[in-house]
Amino acid sequence: MKTYEPILLKNMIQPGYAGSLPEYERAGGYQALRKVLGKVTPAEVTAVVMKSGLRGRGGAGFPTGVKWGFLPKDYQGPRYLCCNADESEPGTFKDRQLIERDPHQLLEGMLLACYAIGAASSYIYIRGEFVLGAKILEAAIKEARAAGYVGKNILGTGVSIDIWVHRGAGAYICGEETALLESLEGKRGLPRVKPPFPATHGLYNKPTVVNNVETLANLPHIMNRGAEWFASIGSPPKSTGTRVFCVSGHVARPGNYEVPMGITFRELIYEQAGGMRSDKKLKAFIPGGASAPFLTPDHLDVKLDFESVALAGSMLGSGGVTVMEEGTDMVWAALRLMEFFYHESCGKCSPCREGSSWLVQIMRRIVNKRGRMEDLETLTDLCKNIAGRTVCAFGDAEVSPILSTLKHWRHEYVTMIHAAEAANLIRPEPAGAKH
Amino acid sequence: MLKEKYQAEIDEILSRYPVKRSALLPLLYLAQREEGYVTEAAMQEIAGILKLTPPQVYETATFYTMLNLKPVGRFHLQVCKSLMCALVGSDTVIGWIGTKLGIKPGETTQDKLFTLSIVECLAACGTGPMMQVNDDYYERLTEEKLDRILADLRQTGTCSLKTGPFMWPEPAAAKSGA
Amino acid sequence: MPDQKPETVRLTIDGTTVAVPKGTLVIEAARRVGVMIPHFCYHPKLKPDANCRMCLVEVEKMPKLQTACSTPVAEGMAVRTATTTVDDAHKSVLEFILANHPLDCPVCDQGGKCDLQDFSHQYTPTTSRFTETKRIFQKEYFSPLIETQMNRCVQCLRCVRYCDEIMDVKALAPVGRGTMTEIKHFGPHELDCEFCGGCIQICPVGAITSRLSMYEYRPWMLKRADTICTFCGDGCRITVQTKGNELIEVNSSHGAGRNNGDLCARGFFGFHASTHADRLTHPLIRRDGVLVQATWEDALEYVAEQALRVKLANGPDAFGGLISSRCTNEDLYVFQKFMRQVIGTNRIDSSARYGHLSGVGALQRVQGTHRWTIAFEDIVAANALLLVGTNITETSPITGLKVKEAVKKRQASLVTIESLEPAVDTLSNIANLATQHFSAHPAQIGNNVLGLIKAVIDGNLVDAGLAEQSPAFVQRLSAATQQISWDTLETATGHTRAQWAETAKLLAAAKRVVILVGNGVLRHPGGEGTTTNLLDLLILLGKLNQPGCGLGPLAEENNDQGAVEMGAVPEFLPGPAPLNDQAARDRLASLWREELPRTPGISLTEMLAAANSGSLKAMFVVGENPIGTLPTGAKAKEALGKLELLVCQELFLTETAAMAHVVLPACSYMEKDGTFTNSEGHVQAVRQTINPIGDSRPDWEMLSAISVLMGSPLEYGDAREILKEIRSVIPGYGLLGPTPTSPKVDQPILSRYLAEDASTDMASRYALRQAPKSSETSLTLLFTQTLFHSGKLSTHSKGLLQLQQEGFLSLNPVDAAKVGVADGEKVTVSNARGSITTIAKIRERVPAGLVWFPEHFDGEAKQLAEWTIDPRTQIPYFKLAHVSLAKVS
Ligand SMILES: Cc1cc2nc3c(=O)[nH]c(=O)nc-3n(C[C@H](O)[C@H](O)[C@H](O)COP(=O)(O)O)c2cc1C
Ligand code: SF4
Ligand code: FES
Repeated sequence: MKTYEPILLKNMIQPGYAGSLPEYERAGGYQALRKVLGKVTPAEVTAVVMKSGLRGRGGAGFPTGVKWGFLPKDYQGPRYLCCNADESEPGTFKDRQLIERDPHQLLEGMLLACYAIGAASSYIYIRGEFVLGAKILEAAIKEARAAGYVGKNILGTGVSIDIWVHRGAGAYICGEETALLESLEGKRGLPRVKPPFPATHGLYNKPTVVNNVETLANLPHIMNRGAEWFASIGSPPKSTGTRVFCVSGHVARPGNYEVPMGITFRELIYEQAGGMRSDKKLKAFIPGGASAPFLTPDHLDVKLDFESVALAGSMLGSGGVTVMEEGTDMVWAALRLMEFFYHESCGKCSPCREGSSWLVQIMRRIVNKRGRMEDLETLTDLCKNIAGRTVCAFGDAEVSPILSTLKHWRHEYVTMIHAAEAANLIRPEPAGAKH
Repeated sequence: MLKEKYQAEIDEILSRYPVKRSALLPLLYLAQREEGYVTEAAMQEIAGILKLTPPQVYETATFYTMLNLKPVGRFHLQVCKSLMCALVGSDTVIGWIGTKLGIKPGETTQDKLFTLSIVECLAACGTGPMMQVNDDYYERLTEEKLDRILADLRQTGTCSLKTGPFMWPEPAAAKSGA
Repeated sequence: MPDQKPETVRLTIDGTTVAVPKGTLVIEAARRVGVMIPHFCYHPKLKPDANCRMCLVEVEKMPKLQTACSTPVAEGMAVRTATTTVDDAHKSVLEFILANHPLDCPVCDQGGKCDLQDFSHQYTPTTSRFTETKRIFQKEYFSPLIETQMNRCVQCLRCVRYCDEIMDVKALAPVGRGTMTEIKHFGPHELDCEFCGGCIQICPVGAITSRLSMYEYRPWMLKRADTICTFCGDGCRITVQTKGNELIEVNSSHGAGRNNGDLCARGFFGFHASTHADRLTHPLIRRDGVLVQATWEDALEYVAEQALRVKLANGPDAFGGLISSRCTNEDLYVFQKFMRQVIGTNRIDSSARYGHLSGVGALQRVQGTHRWTIAFEDIVAANALLLVGTNITETSPITGLKVKEAVKKRQASLVTIESLEPAVDTLSNIANLATQHFSAHPAQIGNNVLGLIKAVIDGNLVDAGLAEQSPAFVQRLSAATQQISWDTLETATGHTRAQWAETAKLLAAAKRVVILVGNGVLRHPGGEGTTTNLLDLLILLGKLNQPGCGLGPLAEENNDQGAVEMGAVPEFLPGPAPLNDQAARDRLASLWREELPRTPGISLTEMLAAANSGSLKAMFVVGENPIGTLPTGAKAKEALGKLELLVCQELFLTETAAMAHVVLPACSYMEKDGTFTNSEGHVQAVRQTINPIGDSRPDWEMLSAISVLMGSPLEYGDAREILKEIRSVIPGYGLLGPTPTSPKVDQPILSRYLAEDASTDMASRYALRQAPKSSETSLTLLFTQTLFHSGKLSTHSKGLLQLQQEGFLSLNPVDAAKVGVADGEKVTVSNARGSITTIAKIRERVPAGLVWFPEHFDGEAKQLAEWTIDPRTQIPYFKLAHVSLAKVS
């Protein structure tokens, strides 16, 4: 097995490393902050991040430096940084580890980002279930505050930055950045219509940046070791740096693996994650969280970078790779994800709200052996009618399990429906009930 | 009344935000911590503290699945059934709990100790099947583990099998049960 | 009106080029070229939410379809709404929306006027692919007046957004998530809110409907007529829908009237007052001490005969006339003409006496106008608003909406000097939106205004031009304000000089400043003086003459302004013109072909005194009920009891009518044509919606008939003829077209005011108002207007009675604690004059030291009220009492 230099996981894999402030400092922590605060201009920090090629690790892969650059230059009022620690995309569990094992790495990243965008207040929006993570972060902030890294006049530089932990309360959609802002404002987590974008009208209508935990955790390293160094890792020029991939499902060693972008799925699954858990072969995998269309063994040699996965018809998304072995029922698998999406649709947009309930009901019927051939056309149609017609990307996401399984494993749907017909399990139902 | 008991904590929460309403989720958590669920009286009181109308508190409270608007058992077993956990046996876990406690999802045991809920992905996909019990995660569940967890919870109110600071796979040097 | 010209943007919609102001949304631009884009969640009043996704259109160079409701136009944009892609999108979105919608159109009150029905008709095939189970909500009781059918909800959230964005009430909660989201109030509680009816009106489907008309009609069965609401000075346009002679529903469409489609509970749910079973249907004549039914002939002849007899024996000044400002301009005009010409006296008064004249007096004196120099549009466009004693939400709810719009949508600063505490409860509270709020006991409102003026002077914020042109005025004012020390002001009001200073700065910095004055000032001692001082404030800031700036007294009754303009008060002839204005007298005399009476008129209070002393022998009372309205101190009952002739034209047998010699049944506003003039001075058409109840007749018609029988006929064919005559007295009156331009400040009069007139009473106007001594045990009771009623008329409306059916005492938690009374418990309220027992309602919005009682139910409570009369204006004050409370055990 090839090994790679860990960056984000470097501290935490040291035996005994518990993530306390002294430990973090001993490992070189807060050096970047000391180097940058008051010595490098915020614009220069943004320039370095832009040059590093760092792209968002939350799902959309938007270049981080470019996003920061959208903030109005001449705006005088407050600005905010929100760290997206909602980690709610099924298949993803990396932020949890980054937070619980090395919280100061994230805090230092946040301080650097705040400095770059001129934010004096920032919030970590952490999913409500991460009670432990929230406690660890709160303790770490307390330590950092006591040591003068957080709060007023940081390290005597005159820069003041506050960080607070804000717990979500159980809603996948709050990972979507504008829903996150709504939620942070104490409202229902419904995504906002864009434009305007958070860069100009974000938290409390003020210029705001939302970045993922992993994205932010990269910043101290970039500031310490330089944009060129970072840009040389991975699959430059478009996918630089490492990613912490979360491998789940039927592999021998599920877990978080930090590797440079650009290695193949084959390497990630068969070398890093130890291959399949039994002698059953790989049947399917999801390359980037529940929102990413399923791929097949034919795609094992696709590279784990943004462009390659997109070219293969899916997306790198949040980095959650879920592996399914032979024998997994793909219609059932799609239904499981569809149930997730149905449960999590915020209900704002009619296509997503009504579509998800409709889709889940058809899928349940098919799985319960009450499917009809025309269901397949309806499924495809509904999916197409949802995608691209909603406020947020959830609409596109929720149709990918069905569309991609229909594409690669249509015969499984057909078999199920035939079986239903053969068993004569279909209750007579008029095909076109009158309005 | 939350205010009488937790004035300092409430003030501290309010101090984090420039706009009061942001304190809504934290205050709802406070209310839930106090009574096990969010009561109507608490929502009314929170509305008063934040200068919101009770419907504004209510609409937010009902959006989030972690806020219980009805009482739940002392231990709220929340088993993840999303695909990743399902691939590695979460349905079986739900079945075990059903037989061991005699409750179906959404139900509470007679002694009000356990409530079983089926939930969606809790970001522990690599260590499934898993469940959350109140604040704690229990991962890589097996039937034996489950028995011990239930027994410990009954006896001591907690269980050492809960996950600590998460890392998986564990570094080669320091292996222990997750 | 806003003065800056907006930038325009050119774009094409389906090939047609259109130029629209920058910021216009595509859906609105399309409408301009006649392209209707289907929509549910979009509403011109609301911020775009783009949730229904129905309005998708193609925009050139955009990869995805865009929602027309949330996309602002851009220069050169090319929009396509009629392509197959767009059509498919509309069809598919509609298919989704219909998926869970029950097809219960036959039993749905929205059927026939439903957007979903209409769009479905346009887009979908007759069959549905949806064969799954439809979502079903547990039916829950929602409210006494509003019905919800959540299964029909399309989740556009228009109701929720309206309740928050426009009303600022926030009573509706979208509960739950996803398809199971439903609109509720708070848990299982029934709705408690302002009941503006907005959610009913704005729901595009039948999910929220009115219980008052539930299952009573199909829309196409109804006849509709547009008229004006009678319940307050805002003058809302309403559409009354009737079936036969039955009133079924009232609503108001977006864009219509001064209210722009918005209404309050009174307008939306109060209409049944007109068809109440207690309406008088026949004339009554007192025979042997008892009122008995009579024919119109007998009744009218009796009145004419008796009137002639009294006139012959005692002369015309033995008569008095009193008319309600709820009457139409036509009624008011004919009434004053009847009194002046047929009887020959100026002894007439109207309910404008109770307060509106305080405001009119100040306006006339300082700026030479008898009406606002501003309009509702100026409120919306103001940069700073000062509300003084308005209790605007409850008294003038629609003017209140204009203020809310200015503050919430256009970021205007708001200063409130009100007997009100900011607090969130089921009614919106304007103080919650204030940038600066001064909570004040009614007796301290004037002192707060003094503080503000002193702060303007001390802060060197006086307009430079004014200081140059009228140095003496400024000097006199400085001297006057120097007399009062900051310390005394602070002690008296409980507010700080810093707050006044800040507020003064805020007002000085604002380009457009609008001041609204309400009953808290106008119906209390010193009302005219305080209003004059507020005009001084505008003068000092150099704003009085500026576009978009001005002061508006808020009329309480719907036609207070009309009553003044029609001359239905002793001090004015129609116009209004002062009684002694010779030119006006000559003009009227030539029009009426009759000399005008020369003896001065007297006001209501003087009439009562004259009746008591025996010099007044007869009264015509139209729609007014002095016995029911005035406290015992006014001795109205004794006075009226002494009359030889009391004629009442009434809807109901009121306390006053019950004492009359003749009672004539009058038509309500629903049964007649005419015009009302609202607070701003807009003359608007009142149209008949149902046939007169029983044998009732419009007020003017009865007076006209009596005049004929008295030998000086005032004959008119219909209301329009009267309006024509009014127009010859007041040129242009009642041109029911677009907004008439508001009058301008009369420069010579202002100059005279600055030079001399102002100083005549400056010393008294700028003296510290002495607050009545309050003791530990005594509280100030205010008889207030509430949102759910208007005078006593609305207490005949079954809908409003469901919201509020009796009196109650609102009090602050602190005062409640002092007496040990809890919400809903009984209290005794008493003073030397009497004592009543009522229910206590604890409300944080009531300032400590004050308690409120709704005047609409003041029957017994009235006896507690003080009765004082302003010696100069003859305005009676009776909305206040000093009382002590005790818990009933
Ligand atoms: C439905 C939905 C859910 C999302 N969930 C998450 C999440 O849990 N965590 C996250 O970091 N980003 C999530 N995102 C992406 C965020 O909207 C946003 O792009 C991201 O936080 C930006 O940070 P980055 O640029 O650092 O990636 C989600 C997006 C959508 C549409
Ligand atoms: S697409 Fe779905 S999740 Fe996203 S805003 Fe619309 S309804 Fe909510
Ligand atoms: S009208 Fe545009 S999305 Fe509803």
